[in-house]
Amino acid sequence: MPSELAEEHRMLADMVAKFVDRELMPLEKSVLAREAAGQKYGLTPEEEAPLLAKCRELGLWALDVPEELGGANLPTVALMAINEELGRTVVPFTFPPDSPNLHMLLAVASPEQREKYLKPYAEGRATSCIAISEPGAGGDPAGMTTRAVADGSDWVINGRKIWVSRVPQADFVIVMARTGDGKRHDGISAFIVERGTKGFIIEREIAMIGGRRTYELVFEDCRVPASQVLGQLGRGFAPMQLRLTVRRLQMGAWCLGIARRALEMLCEQARNRVTFGARLADRQAIQWWVAEAATQIHACRLMVMDAAAKHDAGVDVRTEASMIKVFATEMAGSVTDHAMQTFGAMGMTKELPLQLLAQQVRVMRVYEGPSEVHRMAIARRYLNDRK
Amino acid sequence: MKILVPVKRVVDYNVKVRVKTDGTGVETAGVKMSMNPFDEIAVEEAIRLKEKGIATEIVAVSLGVAQCAETLRTALAMGADRGILVETDVDLQPLAVAKLLAAIVAQEHPGLVILGKQAIDDDMSATGQMLAALLGWPQGTFASKVAIEGETISVTREVDGGLETVALKLPAIVTTDLRLNEPRYASLPNIMKARKKPIATMKPADLGVDPAPRLVVVSVAEPAKRKAGVKVGSVAELVAKLRTEAKVI
Repeated sequence: MPSELAEEHRMLADMVAKFVDRELMPLEKSVLAREAAGQKYGLTPEEEAPLLAKCRELGLWALDVPEELGGANLPTVALMAINEELGRTVVPFTFPPDSPNLHMLLAVASPEQREKYLKPYAEGRATSCIAISEPGAGGDPAGMTTRAVADGSDWVINGRKIWVSRVPQADFVIVMARTGDGKRHDGISAFIVERGTKGFIIEREIAMIGGRRTYELVFEDCRVPASQVLGQLGRGFAPMQLRLTVRRLQMGAWCLGIARRALEMLCEQARNRVTFGARLADRQAIQWWVAEAATQIHACRLMVMDAAAKHDAGVDVRTEASMIKVFATEMAGSVTDHAMQTFGAMGMTKELPLQLLAQQVRVMRVYEGPSEVHRMAIARRYLNDRK
Repeated sequence: MKILVPVKRVVDYNVKVRVKTDGTGVETAGVKMSMNPFDEIAVEEAIRLKEKGIATEIVAVSLGVAQCAETLRTALAMGADRGILVETDVDLQPLAVAKLLAAIVAQEHPGLVILGKQAIDDDMSATGQMLAALLGWPQGTFASKVAIEGETISVTREVDGGLETVALKLPAIVTTDLRLNEPRYASLPNIMKARKKPIATMKPADLGVDPAPRLVVVSVAEPAKRKAGVKVGSVAELVAKLRTEAKVI
C-alpha cells in the first residue's frame, strides 16, 4: 500500500486488507476445489450473502459512484489501493455494484437515461455489459462491421459481437455500432439495448482460461428507438475509451495484488523448502526472482498511483494507462510464473491459487487491448511527438 | 460515564520484528505500525459499553511520537469520540506512561479506564497495574468478560487454572485479554467522520510529568535459533540420549 495516500484512504485500504484476509481468504479453498472439480468458478449464494451484508455494514458500497447518486465518490488513488488488496485473492468478489460502465454512462447519458439506466446501475439494482469486439475486429476498431441504420425514428442494429463478459445477468448491454462512413473511430455510436429486445440473441457461451466465461452475441434486425442512442451520434468511441482508461488502471492495481500474493507465497516456500542441502532461499536463482519481483511491484505501484493521481486531477492519462496495462500484466505474469516454478509440482496443482492467478493474468494481457496494441499506441505517441 | 482508553502505537502484529544491527532496540524505520491489538480490544469494549448506554463518552489517549495521531485516528474511526495526544520523542517506559495517564485522569475524571493487558512490542504488562496503584483505584486485569451494574463492575479474569471473577467499585482500571471481544472494522463512513473528530495535543511538561526513562536497556538480541532435531531409531536410544546427552533423566 502506498504511503503517500491520505490518512483516511490509508485507513480504508487497511480495512479492506483486513476484509480480504478475514472474510475472503477463508473461502479460497472451497472456491478452488469447486473450480478444480469443473463446477462454476465463483461464490455460492450462501457464501456471497453474508459478504454483501458486511459490505453494507462497512459502507463498502458504490465506492466510485458520485455522491448525488448515493455513492462514496472515492478518488481514483483510493480505489487503486482498494483494488490492489482485492487482487490478492482468487475469490471472485468486487465491492458492489460491479460497475465498469459507470464512467461512460456518467459522461454521456441523457437525463432520461440517467434516471432509467444509470441510477439503478449505480445503486446495484441493475447490471450491464459492453459489446465492443467482433469476430473480425478486436483491438482495432477499424474492422468493426456491426451497423445501425436509421429507420424513421428508430435504429436497426445488425452484426455480431464476441468476448462479452457478464451477459447472462446483464439488464442492458451497451453495443458499439457503426452509424456513419468514418473509416476508423469516426461514425461509431453507442446504443443501450435492453435484455429481451427482439433481435438481440445470446449466440453462445465461451469458456475462457482463468475460470471465466464470455459470450458471443448476434444482433439481427434489432430495433431500438432513438432514445437508446448513448451520447453523441457517431462520437461513441471517446466515451468508450474513458471507460477503458479507468479499467486499465484498475487492472494495474489487480496485478499488483496478484503479484504481491505470488511473491508472498514464493518467499514462504523458498524459506521452507530444502533441496540438495540448502534452502531455496539461499539460491541465487530464487533470490533474483524475489528481488526482481519486489522491484517491479514497487515500480508498478508508483506507475498506478501516479496515473491515478493525474486522473483525479483531470489529466488525460491514456498513454500512462497503456504503459500500466503492458507493464503490470507482464510483471504479474512473470511473478506468478516464478512462484509456480518455486513450488515445483505443487505449483502445477489446482490446490494452490497460483495457477488460477496466472491464467487470469494471462487473459489480462489480451482483454481491454492486447499488449502489442498498447505498445503501438505508446510508440506512436512518442514517434509523432516532434515535427 | 466517561471511559478513557489509552492506545499504543506498535509494530504491526503481522510484521516479523527485527533487532537493530547495533543491538539498541527493535527496528521501526520503514516498518508498518498499528494499534496494539489488546488496545483495539479495549476500544471495542468501550464502544460496546457506549452502545449499551452505560458510557456517554470515549476518550482515546496515545503517548509518544507525533505519528501516534494515526493510532488515535484509528480509535476515532472505530467509534471513540475524541483523542488526546501526549507528544514526546522520549522512550516511554510503563511508569512514565502510568504517571502521564494518571495526570490525564485527574483532568478528565473518567469513571473507567480500559487498557490492553500488555503491548505486543515490549510485553511489559505493567502500565494498567501501575496506573491503578498511582490512582489508588481497584483493578481488574486480564479481563475476558466485563459487566457494569450501578457503581460496580464485575470483571472475569483469565488466571492460571481458570477464570476468576472480581467485583470492583467504580472508578476502576480494567486491562483486556484476548477473548474479551472481537474488535470491529472501522467502517468507511466512520473513517470519514473520524477526520472531523478533535485530537488535543499536549506535552508531558503540560501534565507536570518527567517522562525520562528509569530503566536502561543494555542490549536487545534475537532469540537463539532453534537447532535442528534428530531422529532416534528406538526407545532405548531415546532414553540413552536423554540420559547421556540431554542429561534430563
